[in-house]
Amino acid sequence: MTTIRAKKAFPWHIVFFLGPGLLIYLTVSVYPLLDTLRLSLYNEEMNGDLTFTGLSNFSKLLFDVVWSDPFWNATWNNLKFFVVHMLVQNPIGLLLAVLLSSPKLRMRNSYRTLIFLPTMLSVVIVGFVWQLLLSPLWGITENLMWDIGLGNYFDAWLGKESSALFTLSLISVWQFVGLPMMLIYAALLGIPDELIDASVVDGSSAWQTFYHIKLPLIMPTIGMVSILTFVANFNAFELIYTVKGALAGPNFATDIMGTLFYRTFFGFQLQQGSLTMGAAVATLMFLVILVGVALYLFLFQRRVQRFAL
Amino acid sequence: MADVKLNNIKKSYGNVNILHGIDLDIKHGEFVVLVGASGCGKSTLLRLIAGLDEITEGELQIGSELVNDLPPAKRGVAMVFQSYALYPHMNVLKNMSYGLKIAGKDKAFIRKKVQQAAKTLHIDHLLERLPRELSGGQRQRVAIGRAIVRDPKVFLFDEPLSNLDAALRVQTRVEIGKLHQELGATIIYVTHDQTEAMTLGDKIVVMNQGRVEQCGTPLELYQHPITEFVAGFIGSPKMNFIAAKVQSIEADHLVLRLSNGAITKAFVDVTSCNLDDDVTLGIRPENLSEDSDLGERISASVSLVEQLGEASYLYLTLSDATEMVMRTSGESTTTIGETIDISFNAESAHVFNADGLALKRHRAGNTKSPAELARLKAIA
Repeated sequence: MTTIRAKKAFPWHIVFFLGPGLLIYLTVSVYPLLDTLRLSLYNEEMNGDLTFTGLSNFSKLLFDVVWSDPFWNATWNNLKFFVVHMLVQNPIGLLLAVLLSSPKLRMRNSYRTLIFLPTMLSVVIVGFVWQLLLSPLWGITENLMWDIGLGNYFDAWLGKESSALFTLSLISVWQFVGLPMMLIYAALLGIPDELIDASVVDGSSAWQTFYHIKLPLIMPTIGMVSILTFVANFNAFELIYTVKGALAGPNFATDIMGTLFYRTFFGFQLQQGSLTMGAAVATLMFLVILVGVALYLFLFQRRVQRFAL
Repeated sequence: MADVKLNNIKKSYGNVNILHGIDLDIKHGEFVVLVGASGCGKSTLLRLIAGLDEITEGELQIGSELVNDLPPAKRGVAMVFQSYALYPHMNVLKNMSYGLKIAGKDKAFIRKKVQQAAKTLHIDHLLERLPRELSGGQRQRVAIGRAIVRDPKVFLFDEPLSNLDAALRVQTRVEIGKLHQELGATIIYVTHDQTEAMTLGDKIVVMNQGRVEQCGTPLELYQHPITEFVAGFIGSPKMNFIAAKVQSIEADHLVLRLSNGAITKAFVDVTSCNLDDDVTLGIRPENLSEDSDLGERISASVSLVEQLGEASYLYLTLSDATEMVMRTSGESTTTIGETIDISFNAESAHVFNADGLALKRHRAGNTKSPAELARLKAIA
């Protein structure tokens, strides 16, 4: 037997199909990222020339008090912002998903739509509406709280250093709680009914079924929700900018990485924008997210397996 | 002792009635098979007994205790599901011990129980594996093992073999039968496969549209179906039905004129019959013969032949276009297009009246189970 091997033609179709996507990805994602990393190693002279300065931007950012104070403040605030989401948004999302998947619930689709609705709204609108609602001057919240006898507890939450960040976090939670809910709800629906029946016949209560059967099976989804929350939180900007402006007041109490980057890069009021320092902040944001995602991949995703149901 | 008593059990979802009053009496240690076409309510009934759905009306007793409002585990039932429903994130050991763990049993006890059950089912070498690493048959055993370890009073099987391939199905069927002998537990088993029903059941319950059509031993159902539905459901291929009129009534038999004009006898109870009544003659494919010497004769043309090896099925058409099937020897050389004379014994005929109810057969064959036969022979 002899086999004749036809000389394979160059697979132009692969180039044809992958080309456009690759091109877009390279130009709007890879190139800007690499260029940002490059820029962070330079210094911009008064006349606009760039000179290579190695890691000096980073050492300024991390150790020079003028830069490091706002930087660590923003990092710390961002972490709090993330922790509130993890402790409030995702557990509530999980709870709502479990409630939604209860077979006894009526009008399920209405609840689902209503809870998911804010997610589809613009952050600018949400921020503005909540700012109005919570305003001590013309907001309806104070009157509402007096009406139900809680008037004494009302405060200018958005205006106080102690509560502004927390309040903004909760506004963000309110808006985005629909996302974890939807993802976890979909995962719960994927669990076969017979599995739940088996657990019931085995004698478990609703809580035991949830804890021993459902929760392990939706763990991969919860992990994914967490990492999505992390990335979104450390990239957050619009809400703070809308409600508090670029200065993230009061007294930078709500300053997070996104707003810090904005001021550094574009400049604001007395602060001059700096291309290279902005690139350094952006690079650090990138690294923080990179480290977070890497930790997730190595510590969490390796241990949690997806199970064919 | 764990007798199971169903007293006028009804189930409805909103306005839709699924079960219209089921009465059943299941003795301790009995193997009861619920059969019926899909949608007849057999799985619903099983879920009611398991406690997975609420009983709308009626009483369910297990071991003389009213269990309507008890959760499944308190009823002392264990269930094996069609898809096995093994917990995918737990290994075999954890799957089997889950129920006991929930019940708060101590570890040594659980370990012992699981080892014991695993040994019975020959899965003791698989305890560390995850369900996805098991074959279909092994998963099936684990599912049964999970039921066994809890020492339930009643085992419930919901079409447990339908996900297995044919060879494994036969093997597992035999094993379930043996398991029943060993455990001596009460088993309620849902299937739509009548071979499973005939081979496994001490008692078969044929259900139709939310009602019990007939309940009895396998051979009782085979020899004395009380309705046309049961007659058609039990036996494979299906019983042949031929429209007929009562031509004359004798002391112990009817003389019928079939729709194709043939005249046949049938040894059935004649007391409720009148001349010229419309009836249906039922005759099983295996009671028909190509030899024309069994008494009652019909002429038919062959439209299709299925050769199975040990037997052949001839698909026949009578002169009035009535379709029939007969089972004949695998050696038969009859082929498509031929017109043949087939015959049957008048004693093997079934007759159903216009309401689909059977007239009692006088000369039916054996209806006793192997165990009963053995006992009778021992006495004699």
